[in-house]
Amino acid sequence: MIRIAAVGDLHYGEGSQGILKPGLEHLPDRADLLLLAGDLTRWGKPEEVQVLADELRGVPIPMIAVLGNHDYHCGREAEVRRVLEAAGVRVLEGEGTTVDVDGVRVAIAGTKGFGGGFRGAHGSDFGEPEMKAFVGHTKMLSDRLEKALAGLNAADLRIALLHYSPIEGTLEGERLEIYPFLGSYLMAEAVDNVGADLVLHGHAHHGSEKGRTPAGIPVRNVAQPLIRHAYNVYTLNGHREVLPAAAGGIT
Amino acid sequence: MSERPDYLPEHIREKLFHDPRVAEQDLRVDVKEHRVLLGGNVSSLQLRHTITEVAQELLPGYEIVNETTVVPTTEPEDAEPVS
Ligand SMILES: [Fe+2]
Ligand SMILES: [Fe+2]
Repeated sequence: MIRIAAVGDLHYGEGSQGILKPGLEHLPDRADLLLLAGDLTRWGKPEEVQVLADELRGVPIPMIAVLGNHDYHCGREAEVRRVLEAAGVRVLEGEGTTVDVDGVRVAIAGTKGFGGGFRGAHGSDFGEPEMKAFVGHTKMLSDRLEKALAGLNAADLRIALLHYSPIEGTLEGERLEIYPFLGSYLMAEAVDNVGADLVLHGHAHHGSEKGRTPAGIPVRNVAQPLIRHAYNVYTLNGHREVLPAAAGGIT
Repeated sequence: MSERPDYLPEHIREKLFHDPRVAEQDLRVDVKEHRVLLGGNVSSLQLRHTITEVAQELLPGYEIVNETTVVPTTEPEDAEPVS
C-alpha cells in the first residue's frame, strides 16, 4: 500500500511562517510521499516560497510539486521553482518523475493546467487572439500532461498532479459563473486517454474534495482552505487498477 | 473613495486581491451604509489583521467588520483508501 500525502493552495506570504510546520511533525510516519498542488505563494515571490521551503527542507520523504497561478503572478516562477528545488522539492511542469517506494514504482506527471470550462460549455480557441491564447494554453498543457503520463507507462502506479481542476465534480460549492476559470475537461481527457490511478488538484478553494473523471479515475481536490488540514492522505494499492478509457476503464 | 455604492464592494474586493500584502481572491465584501463586512477564509491570524488594515486604508471613514475565518492546518485524522 502506498500512502500519498497531498495539499495545495498554502498561499505563503508575509506572516505565514510556522503555519504548516507543526502539522508536518508526523508526516514521515503517515505517508510515503508529499505532493504539493500549486499556489504555494500569494504573489509568486521567491521570498514567499523561501519561508515554505525552509519548513519543508529535511522532510525525509520525496516531495513533488506543481506551481499554481499565484506562483506565476509576478513573473518570477523560475526563481520560485529553484527555491523549492534547493529545499528538495521536485517541481513538475509537463514532466514526469518516478519514485521508488519499497520496490513499488510510483510515477507522478504534473502540470499547473489551466481553465476553459467543461464538456458542453468549454471555451474555444476562436475569435480574438486573447481567446485563442487562453484556450491554446490549456490545450498545450493538457497535451504535455498526456505525453508525460504516457511516458510513465512502466510504473506500478501513476498519479497526475495539477493545480487547476480537470472535472466539475470537485468544483461543487464554487459559483458556476467561474467554472471556466477553475479548470478544463481537456486535462481529464488527457488523463483518461492514457490512464492513471489518482488525479490531485487544488485551486478551487470552495469546491469539494471528491470526484471522478468521465472514465472513472478518482480525483481529489486538496486545496488547503477546503481540506482544512496540513495535508490529506490517500492510500493506493501497489498495482494499477484503472485502465485507460479506451481499454474499458471503470465508470 | 467616493464611488457608486452598487460597485463599491467589487472594487474593494479587487483592490484587496491586488494588494501584495493580501492577494486573497476569496474574500466576500459587503458594504452597508458606513460599515464594511469582510468574510471568507484566510490562512493566518496575521493575514486577517492585515486585511482589516488594508480595508481601513481603502475606506478611511468606514467601520471595518472582519468576519473572516482562519483555516486550521492540523494533521489529518485518517487516510482515505482510494484503491
Ligand atoms: Fe489558490
Ligand atoms: Fe489557484
